[in-house]
Amino acid sequence: MAADLEEIRRMIEEALPGAEVEVVDQTGTADHLGAEVVAPQFEGLSRIDQHRLVKAAVRSRFDDGSIHALSLKTRPAT
Amino acid sequence: MAEPELKEKVQELISGNPVLLFMKGTPEMPRCGFSMRIVQVLDSLDVEYGAVDVLPALQPLREVTSEISDWQTFPQLYANGELLGGCDIVEEMHASGELAEALGVEAPAETGDAVPSSAQDLPAQSPPLQIQRD
Repeated sequence: MAADLEEIRRMIEEALPGAEVEVVDQTGTADHLGAEVVAPQFEGLSRIDQHRLVKAAVRSRFDDGSIHALSLKTRPAT
Repeated sequence: MAEPELKEKVQELISGNPVLLFMKGTPEMPRCGFSMRIVQVLDSLDVEYGAVDVLPALQPLREVTSEISDWQTFPQLYANGELLGGCDIVEEMHASGELAEALGVEAPAETGDAVPSSAQDLPAQSPPLQIQRD
């Protein structure tokens, strides 16, 4: 069962209101995804804490195996 | 709930190694692309690090690191007892120079003019650390 890119994007946007989110499928198999997230909530957070927020938003998809890997690029909204 | 003995062992490794990498496979033979990339970054900085292959105990180790660092995916790079992050973060930090600083090494010289010393030809790593489980 592979992840739905649109659903992933929505999950992140719901967890981080106001964020700009882009999700891409890196291997064509919909289980190695890449996401770029720019969010006001990241202000003042270390990279690892920014990543933790995004991963928490999609945790259920890691747990059920639909995502194997999620590459992240995050930065605070300017 | 993480196995207490395994968790204790992991905490010992983290506090006992200035730089510690949890990876899939070994530095000589990484078993995933992200692990391979992190090893390449560390080798380019010529820094000594301990390496733990998580594959023999993957799910138990996920539970341990989840409790210790709120982080479940591998590879994971720890420096001075603190989780820096996985491959994405380590590569970003490397590009900005923050990684060399965090690991207490000199940033690599600009490409082209660097004269490699013979010592740099051999990565100075301790052998991969094994996690013993009864």
